[in-house]
Amino acid sequence: MNIIEVKDLVKKYPAFELKEVSFGVEEGRITGFIGRNGAGKTTTIKSMLNLIHTDGGSISFFGMPLSSNETEIKKRIGYSTGTVNWYPRKTIRDIVRVERSFYDSWDGEAYLKYMEMFGLDEDKTPLELSEGMKVKFNLLMALSHRAEVLILDEPTSGLDPFSRNELLEVFIELKKHGVAVFFSTHIISDLEKCADDIVYISKGRIVAAMPKDAFMAEHARPGETLEAAMLRMEGGEINA
Amino acid sequence: MRNILTKEFRLSASILAYLFILFGFMFFLPGYPILCGAFFSALGLFQSFQFAREANDTVFSALLPIAKKDVVRGRYCFVCIIEICTILVMVIPTVLRMTVWADSVVYRSNALMNANLFALGAAFVIFGLFNWIFVGGFYKTAYKLGRPFVTFIIVGFVCIGIFEALHHIPGMEWLDSFGTDNLGRQFILLLAGIAVYIVTTVLSCRKACENFEKIDL
Repeated sequence: MNIIEVKDLVKKYPAFELKEVSFGVEEGRITGFIGRNGAGKTTTIKSMLNLIHTDGGSISFFGMPLSSNETEIKKRIGYSTGTVNWYPRKTIRDIVRVERSFYDSWDGEAYLKYMEMFGLDEDKTPLELSEGMKVKFNLLMALSHRAEVLILDEPTSGLDPFSRNELLEVFIELKKHGVAVFFSTHIISDLEKCADDIVYISKGRIVAAMPKDAFMAEHARPGETLEAAMLRMEGGEINA
Repeated sequence: MRNILTKEFRLSASILAYLFILFGFMFFLPGYPILCGAFFSALGLFQSFQFAREANDTVFSALLPIAKKDVVRGRYCFVCIIEICTILVMVIPTVLRMTVWADSVVYRSNALMNANLFALGAAFVIFGLFNWIFVGGFYKTAYKLGRPFVTFIIVGFVCIGIFEALHHIPGMEWLDSFGTDNLGRQFILLLAGIAVYIVTTVLSCRKACENFEKIDL
């Protein structure tokens, strides 16, 4: 069953357009959302979170349209971005104290577990965190309210190889518990390690949305890696 | 709503928004345009909007499991609480000037507006203008602060000037009443000021909620 359903999503900017973007994300699977910089990954994710006003199409979570069930849906999903700095001069403790009050499902044990796993200090402010630690802090917030779906915008950007590996292991662990993980990335090796499905976007248009194995069977040449296949496709053969 | 208001006070607010409430005590000052107290309190709120914007508060709030319009309503509630606290501070010097210092020579010889019920009503009008022009203007984009604040400064000071000048117009001297003089008419002006405040704030909030739904964050 698709836990996220994006259908014919259209968003028009003067110099860029999302063109009838459609894909689904299944329960308990890890979906990698890949595309080069400016392909439309963040615009799609922002649309899925109702942060931007779309010009067409529909988005539903758990079978409910986002437009009429925003509050209920947001309680059941987690979001993280690697680049934004929330309240840079407030301590993590203060930020979490406020955020947790919005979630009935806040899991104190999970919070402490991930705090320890990520090596975060509650008395530090986001300003004092490295880029990688900021990503972990955002992830901590998303993971601590028992989200059924995690939507992560480039969560592995800025992480060292060890932390990236650790994070991908967390995704695999969450998947075992039925959590769907949808994450955008431009680091193709992340997909090779943990993704079940691939949604590939280029110039605002979905090129492929399918299981990784099917993607490899359809697009990769014999002996070619996922990264090599994508580089070749992005290099000019997409529209061939 | 309680949660989003807690977020406003604990995360979004600048300390200046709280400190500048004390400018309500400017109602003690003789020979000074006392409505500037309302303007300075509004300046503290402006600082708070700026502080919140730099902390990516708008997107953080929009991602919380609440309706987008509640993000706007939470901010309006915060603004109104600060404004009403400022008015409550202004009430202290106003009551003292209307009672124990009603015959004070210093205040009687004051050419500017006296602290009375009309002045409190006028302070409500200044805050109503702030909510209408600045807060409503901010939510047209959720990031541009300069233009709506400059517009508020211009309109606000023109209004302060008009309120200061009114009691010099022949027949309007009663606006500058001392003690309990013209208490009935003064009370009606206070109610009128409160009515203007409520109407401008509610209409501005509704429009801001509509605008915020359409903004790309």
